[in-house]
Amino acid sequence: MTNIETKRLRMRKMLSWSAYTLLLIVLLPLIPYGLQAASDNGEAASQARVNPIEVPSPGAELWRNVRQRDAEYTGITQVKGVDTGTLINAAGEDWRLFRMQTLIPYGAILMGLILAAILAFYVTRGSVKIPGGFSGKKILRFTMSERMVHWATAGLFWLLGVTGLTLLYGRFVLIPLFGLDGFSVTASACKEIHNLFGPLFLFAMIALVVTFIKDNFFVRGDGTWLSKLGGLFGGHVSAGRFNAGEKMWFWIATLLGFALVITGLILDFAVFGQGRVVMELSHVVHGLSAVVMIAVSFGHIYLGTAGMEGSFSSMANGYVDENWAKAHHDLWLKEGVHPTETKPWHKSTTGGPAGAPR
Amino acid sequence: MALMKFYCDAERCIECNGCVTACKNENDVPWGVNRRRVVTIKDGEPGERSLSVACMHCADAPCAAVCPVNCFYTTKDGVVLHNKDLCIGCGYCFYACPFGAPQFPTVGAFGSRGKMDKCTFCGGGPEEDLSEAERTKYGSNRLAEGKLPLCAEMCSTKALLAGDADVLSGIYRKRVINRGASVLDWGVSYQNATLKVPGGAPGKAK
Repeated sequence: MTNIETKRLRMRKMLSWSAYTLLLIVLLPLIPYGLQAASDNGEAASQARVNPIEVPSPGAELWRNVRQRDAEYTGITQVKGVDTGTLINAAGEDWRLFRMQTLIPYGAILMGLILAAILAFYVTRGSVKIPGGFSGKKILRFTMSERMVHWATAGLFWLLGVTGLTLLYGRFVLIPLFGLDGFSVTASACKEIHNLFGPLFLFAMIALVVTFIKDNFFVRGDGTWLSKLGGLFGGHVSAGRFNAGEKMWFWIATLLGFALVITGLILDFAVFGQGRVVMELSHVVHGLSAVVMIAVSFGHIYLGTAGMEGSFSSMANGYVDENWAKAHHDLWLKEGVHPTETKPWHKSTTGGPAGAPR
Repeated sequence: MALMKFYCDAERCIECNGCVTACKNENDVPWGVNRRRVVTIKDGEPGERSLSVACMHCADAPCAAVCPVNCFYTTKDGVVLHNKDLCIGCGYCFYACPFGAPQFPTVGAFGSRGKMDKCTFCGGGPEEDLSEAERTKYGSNRLAEGKLPLCAEMCSTKALLAGDADVLSGIYRKRVINRGASVLDWGVSYQNATLKVPGGAPGKAK
């Protein structure tokens, strides 16, 4: 670069600077008007404003980290334990909102609607009678071991269901009745029973599946049964040992039962280092499964007792009337592989044991 | 009456754990339970900060919302306390709490939870103030003695503040003003002091 060129360049620079300065002097008084115009247009103003500091504030970064907004962030702490390095448990709010605003109200609505539907059906249609009445001939439907497995599962299911529902709804339903102190004792007992008997449900579920799975695979004809709603509103539908409705209950109970057991064990034994998030998720699955299973069980219980004449004896003493079998499980009856021997203690009865609904 | 709050100044906390020790000692907190803990994030990295955390005595406490036996109550000082006679140790408050404040002593086999224990803002429990029963169940009741929580009183750098929310925010506001830009932009004062001055700050690489 020559000397002249440098000079020319300097000259040009000076000229342009003078021009800029002149322009600035002319325009400076206009700035307030410009600002006024910019503030009138909020969007333009925010675009025009430039943050002079481009380094992000470490304070904001700190709080973003501990609030776990972008990613799970854990610090270190001298306090030993699970999750102690987590400053903010962001999932806690999700869990709380699920329990308080979804599980509790919608669970109550679901169970209430099912109960109301059953009651409405019973009031309008009454118990489903055996066509032709009791024949007096008894057929063995459930063996002693099958009944034991059923009642072990059913008993545990209701023990856990009642204690669980007490913990879920007690604050709203029972505290007004018992008072804070009274309900605390009830709830404490319910918690201990729930936590002690809960693990046993695993063994009951395994026994239930092993015992009943062989007759619960869906076969041809189950579709017809379902499409006619099992003849609930009239008409006869053929069914094997278990009809499609019973099979659906079996599979729902199996699926939800194991979901309940697995999540229940995670919640019950908090000694394997599972963190809050795992337990919150487990509780969501546990609560949903429980409420749905309880609601569906209402239908099962109704049909096994008051809803259908002659069905309760099958789980009480194992025997059903031949006419009952003809009406509800004709294909199973035709298989003809059922022991029909009668034992002395129910020989004299005509419709199952004393006290059974007829 | 005041509205009691904790505030931990992350620019001051030096992770000495004095608050944790003071709390354990003052309240005879059982083994395995820590009502307060100091958490350090970015340990050993630029931007390392420590915070002392315990029950924050929320105005609308999530623990109280989910408690199945309704054992929580808020005092007229805004302190969230709970009744251990009602508590059944279900652990729901621990799931709901954002800060991990509720603690459970292990009382039986398989880690079954005992009655929940948490920071009381050194405010005792529902029992008669400064009674033996209150002392056994909840620890000290310094509020009844006209004192503030010991964790904050012991804090060597005055990072942890406890007291009326108005007073605390006043103190913190003064600190922020005194620190000036450093609190808004740590980088300006320390690591990379490159203010975005046109042409670059004198004597500094761009």
